Amino acid sequence: MTQAIEHLNPDTLSAFIDGELPDGEQTAIEQHLAGCHACALRVLSATQLKAATARAGRRFAPSPEALARLTAQVRQQPQATARIHSMRRLAWVGLAAALLLAVSLIGWQQIRKTNSLSAELLDQHLSTLSSGATPQVISTDRHTVKPWFQGRLPFSFNLPDAQALPPDTTLKGANLTYLKGQPAALLLFTIHKHQVSVFVTQRSSGPNLIALPSVRSGFTIDSAATHDLQIVAVSDVNPADLDALVAVLAKAQSSS
Amino acid sequence: MSGSEALLGVPMHVRDSSQREASDNVASVNRSADFERLALPLLPSLYNHASWLTRNHAEAEDLVQETFSKALRAFDSFQESTNFKAWIIRILRNTFLTSRTGIATSRTVFLEDHPHVLDTTDASPTPEDNLIRLDNQAALQRALEQLEAPLREALLLCDVEEVKYKDIALILDIPIGTVMSRISRARRALRQLLQPQLGESL
Repeated sequence: MTQAIEHLNPDTLSAFIDGELPDGEQTAIEQHLAGCHACALRVLSATQLKAATARAGRRFAPSPEALARLTAQVRQQPQATARIHSMRRLAWVGLAAALLLAVSLIGWQQIRKTNSLSAELLDQHLSTLSSGATPQVISTDRHTVKPWFQGRLPFSFNLPDAQALPPDTTLKGANLTYLKGQPAALLLFTIHKHQVSVFVTQRSSGPNLIALPSVRSGFTIDSAATHDLQIVAVSDVNPADLDALVAVLAKAQSSS
Repeated sequence: MSGSEALLGVPMHVRDSSQREASDNVASVNRSADFERLALPLLPSLYNHASWLTRNHAEAEDLVQETFSKALRAFDSFQESTNFKAWIIRILRNTFLTSRTGIATSRTVFLEDHPHVLDTTDASPTPEDNLIRLDNQAALQRALEQLEAPLREALLLCDVEEVKYKDIALILDIPIGTVMSRISRARRALRQLLQPQLGESL
């Protein structure tokens, strides 16, 4: 038996112990090793080094926490996307809730505003009822009352003729007042001896008086809007009579 | 058939599409189950290899995590005939190479098989070959650390991960002959590194 193969070169030896040589070459080397003690020793040594490298190379293990995180990542791949979806859905729900909250807050503020506004109207009305209070302008004549407001209000309004007013309805006088910081005309009427306060404000700058509750503390609040004015009446008179007055006042604005 | 259809009261085309959807869902669930089945056992290997590449625990975890998410996204392109381990290690390695540490590492020039290393291809067995004691784990780990990165990488894939040469060639994007010579060179370098240390301790 001639030894066709020289001693193993390192690359061949390396590939041999890795089982990476073609079958024919592998067999030839095995034959050589059978007769070459030195090469057999080198193969043994290389195999030992390989085994030792395998041990030494398995050096780093993840911490239990890192292992748990990474395992969860692999395990929960489909759930992870599901969680993103549900998170997205949750975000939408949250957004919707926030919108609802904002809307309800606006609504609540609106209610609070109108509540405080109606309270203010009522306060002003009640103060005109007290015996000592006299209107700034005392006149039943619309031709006296209306000019009095000129230069006092940033807007003008019409007053109907005394004959145009509903039955037993009389203009007693007027005050310059403020509603929510905006100037307003306070017209004082009586209907069947009931005191009526009528507030006239500008629609563009004044507070919104239209959405007021119709009854507060036993007083009726009635309102109307014209092109640029708001008319709000407060009284303890029956609502139908108050409504008639408000209607006449509103009509008077469009007739000019 | 038509009887059961009538019984179900569902128009055929509606049932068709819902069935298709259901089977798609089943397929995707199976697919991710496949991924889990293939990837989970490799977690320790991937983490270990990532640690050898990054030399940092936090970076290794990030690297494995990114590898998993990339691999899952690319899993549809994975063919059953290919070696999953090689496939995912390749992803890990490519991810590493684009990382800061990876870019820094790749700046080091590695000379493939320079001549005087080849000169040491001494065929005759040396007494030292048999003298090397491999029970010194710490010494071997130090020697592995001292290896040039491309040699270490090839050797670890071969000896630790037990990846075949052709798959190592795939992972490292080098010819199979180069894989063979790198592994051989890595082993010779390890021996050289181990000898003086053992000489001191003996």
